[in-house]
Amino acid sequence: MTPVPYNRSLAEEESSIAAQKTMFEAYQIDGLFDEMFASANVTRPHYESAFRGLCEFQPTDFDRRRRMADVAFRNQGITFTVYGDKRGVEKIFPFDLVPRIIPAHEWDVIEAGLSQRITALNLFCKDIYHDQRILSENIIPPEMIYGAKFFRREMMHVHVPRDIYIHICGTDLVRGKDGAYYVLEDNARTPSGVSYVLESRAVMKRVFPTLFAEYRVRSVEDYPHNLLNTLKHVAPPHAGSDPVVAILTPGVFNSAFFEHSFLARQMGVDLVEGQDLVVENNFVYMRTIAGLRRVDVLYRRVDDDFIDPLTFHPESMLGVAGLMNAFRCGNVAMANAVGTGICDDKAIYAYVPEMIRFYLKQEPILPNVPTHICARPDDCRYTLENLDKLVVKATNESGGYGMLMGHQATREQREAFAEQIRKDPRNFIAQPVVELSQHPSLVGDHFEGRRVDLRPYILYGDKPLVMPGGLTRVALTKGSLVVNSSQGGGSKDTWVLEE
Amino acid sequence: MAEPRENITTLPVESRSKFDQRGRARPMLSRDADAMYWMCRYVERAEHVARLLMINASTLIDVGDLETDALNKLWLSILRVFRIEHPPPSDLPLAEAISRYMTFEIANPNSIVSCLTRARENARSIRENISAEMWEALNSSYLSVRADDAVARFDESREDFYRSVLASSMLFQGLTNQTLPHTQRWQFAQVAKYFERIDVTSRILDTRWSLLASGELTIEPQLRNIHWMGVLRSCCSIETFRREYPGEMDPLRIAQFLILRNDFPRSIRFCVEQASESLTSLRTMTSRAIDPAERIVGRLLAQLDYAELAEVLNVGISRYLQNIQHQISEAATAVQKAYFLY
Repeated sequence: MTPVPYNRSLAEEESSIAAQKTMFEAYQIDGLFDEMFASANVTRPHYESAFRGLCEFQPTDFDRRRRMADVAFRNQGITFTVYGDKRGVEKIFPFDLVPRIIPAHEWDVIEAGLSQRITALNLFCKDIYHDQRILSENIIPPEMIYGAKFFRREMMHVHVPRDIYIHICGTDLVRGKDGAYYVLEDNARTPSGVSYVLESRAVMKRVFPTLFAEYRVRSVEDYPHNLLNTLKHVAPPHAGSDPVVAILTPGVFNSAFFEHSFLARQMGVDLVEGQDLVVENNFVYMRTIAGLRRVDVLYRRVDDDFIDPLTFHPESMLGVAGLMNAFRCGNVAMANAVGTGICDDKAIYAYVPEMIRFYLKQEPILPNVPTHICARPDDCRYTLENLDKLVVKATNESGGYGMLMGHQATREQREAFAEQIRKDPRNFIAQPVVELSQHPSLVGDHFEGRRVDLRPYILYGDKPLVMPGGLTRVALTKGSLVVNSSQGGGSKDTWVLEE
Repeated sequence: MAEPRENITTLPVESRSKFDQRGRARPMLSRDADAMYWMCRYVERAEHVARLLMINASTLIDVGDLETDALNKLWLSILRVFRIEHPPPSDLPLAEAISRYMTFEIANPNSIVSCLTRARENARSIRENISAEMWEALNSSYLSVRADDAVARFDESREDFYRSVLASSMLFQGLTNQTLPHTQRWQFAQVAKYFERIDVTSRILDTRWSLLASGELTIEPQLRNIHWMGVLRSCCSIETFRREYPGEMDPLRIAQFLILRNDFPRSIRFCVEQASESLTSLRTMTSRAIDPAERIVGRLLAQLDYAELAEVLNVGISRYLQNIQHQISEAATAVQKAYFLY
C-alpha cells in the first residue's frame, strides 16, 4: 500500500471526505483553546493542509504508520530509563504522530521573547554572583536569593568565560484559553529532550513524507553543529583554534543517557564519565589509551551537587576531584556554569519580568504566568484562602513532583499542603490554573484533544540562537494537565513554518 | 587506449598533511577501549558456547547409546571449557540442566544470555563510537535471546536457536570489520576476538584430548571418528580439515591442525599472529616504546612459528595448551594495565 496523494482536485477531495467517516468524527473542543481548530468546523489556516491530509487516513492505515514509528524508535534504542523498574528499565518515549504546527508570525514573537529572556537571565547570574545590584536596588529581596536551594556561594566573584552562565536553556511555554503564550518555567541547569526533537523529526520524515509536502518546515538538524559552536565559543584562550570539547555524563544508568550519547555522536566529541577525568595542576585531562589529553570545554550533564566531591557532595562518584578549582582558574569552561539553578527556582522565576526591565530597560515580550510568592505574607494568605482555585508548586522541584492541583485535589490533600506551606512558605509559589491548549492526538482509532506545552531550546554563544522547533509534550490522559514524561506524557513533532 | 595523464600531476594540492590519507583519529578514551574489548570478547564467547552446545548434542545423537557415566563426562567437559567446576543444582537430567544453565542462566556469567547482555551493556556505554549497524545487530540478537518466547523457541528447535546466535555473532564481527575504520578501536576488537578464540579453542582441545586420547573415557573404536569430528566441529574446522586430510581422523593431525596452522582463522597460531599484529599497531598508534603484552604474544608466536608436533608431544599436549592459556591470560592482563587501568 502506498500513501494516498492528497493533491487531487478540490471537488474530488471534498466528496471523498464527505463520503467516508474521518478520524476527526467525534472530535470535541470542550471550550478550550484548540491548536488546530478555531471553532467546531473551522480549521486554523496553518493547519488546513495537515487537516486535509489527516482526513485521508483510515484508522488501520494510521495505525500501521504508528507501528512503523515505534519500531524505528525501539530499534535505534531511543529510550529513557524508568527508575525502579526491574526488567524493562528502558522505555520508549510515547510518540504522537499528529504534528504541532506553529506559523512564522507566532514564532517570531516566541523567538524574540526567548532571546530577551536568556539575555536577562545571563545578566542576572553575572550580577547575583558579583555586584548584586539587583539586591541593593531593592528589586529582589536578598533573603529570596540566600534562601534559594540552588544559590551557590562557591561561585561568588568567580569569573566565567565571556560572562556566559547559561549556554543552553530550555524554557517551557504554555498557551492559555486566550491563546497567548506564557512562560511556565525556565530550565537553566541541564534541560533534556533535545535528542527527541531531532529523532522525532527524522522518524516523521520517514513515516509521513506526504504531510511535509504542503509545508515549508524549518529544519532543526543543525542544532548539534550550533551547540558545538556555542561550546567552543567559551573555550579558554590556551585551547587555540581547535579546543577539545567533551560531554560529561553520569553514565549509562542515567535516565537521559541516550541523549548524552546521541549528542556526542552528532557533535563528534568524546562522551566522558567522572572516572575518565583527572585534574592535575588545575587542568582537566581525560584518560586515553595514549595517556592524558587536556579537555578545554565540558558540556556537563551532571548536577552541581555531584560535580566535584572536594567542593560539593564529598561522596559523589560522578564528578571529578578538583574540577571546580580548574573551573575557577579558567582552565576549563563548563556549560552550563555552576550556580545557574538559581534561575530554576520558581520564586526567582516570578522576578524575571522585573529582571528584564532592570537589566535591559525593556518590557517582557513573553509574559509569565501570574505567580503568588508564598514568602510574601499577603501572597501566602491569598494562597491559603484560595487553595481550591490554585496550582501550588514547590519552588525547587521538577518533573511534575511536589505539586498540588487545587481544583482537582481532595480536601485532605489540600489541608496537608496548607500545613506544608505554613511551615515553609519560602518553598512554595501558587499560580492560577492555566487551562493548557489542546491538540488532536491519536487515541485508539480516532483523534481526541489532549493538552500540550512547548519546550524550545535556546543557545547562547556570541548571540542568542533559538532552535526553530522544540519538544511539544502531550498529556496522554484525557483532561490531564501534566505533560512530564515521568508522569506518563508523550511527545509530538513541532513544525515551525517559514514565512 | 592510453588516456592523456598530464593533468593529474598538475592538480593543485594545497598541503599534503591537510589531505592526509591515514586519517586523524584522536586517541580513544581508556574506558571506551575497555568497553570495546569486552564487548568483542563476550560476543565471541557467546558464539563458542552456542557452537559447543549445539555440536555436543548432535554428536551424541550420532554415537547413539552411551553409558550414563560417559555421557555425563562429555557434558561436564563443556563446563570445564569455561572453567566451571560444578554442575548446576537441578532436578533435570544432567545434559538438560547443563544446556539450560549455559544458555539462559543469568547467574552464570558464561551463559549465552549473560554474554550477550554484557556485550550489549558495553556497547550501550560506547554507542556513540560504534557504528549504528553494529549496535542494531547486537541489540537485536540480545532482544532475541531475552524475548518472552526465547525458551519456547529453544524448546522447539535447539539447533535453530543456536544457529541464530552463531549467525548474529558472525554478522556482528563482519560489521565490525566493514563499518569501522581500521584504527585503534578496530585493533582492540581484533585483540579481544583472538584472545578469546585462542583461550576457548585451546581449552576445547585440552579437555577433549584428555577425555578421548588419554583414556579418561573408554570409547568403542568405531565411534572414535565421530567424537574427533565433534572436536573439529566445535572449533568450526571440520570442512577444511577433511579437505586436507581425507580418511581416518588422526588425533595427532587434529592437534597439529588446531594448534600450528598459520593460515586458518580457527587455529591457534593464526589467532596469535593476528593478535600480535594488532598489538604492534596499537603500540605504534599510541607512540609507546615497549608494550609488555606485545612482547608476551610475540614470544608465543615465535614459539608456535618454529614448533614441531614432536616437540609439542614431548611437552605433552595438555601442558603445551595450558602454557598457551597462561601466556594469553598474562597478555590480557598486560593490555588492561597498559591501556585501560593505568
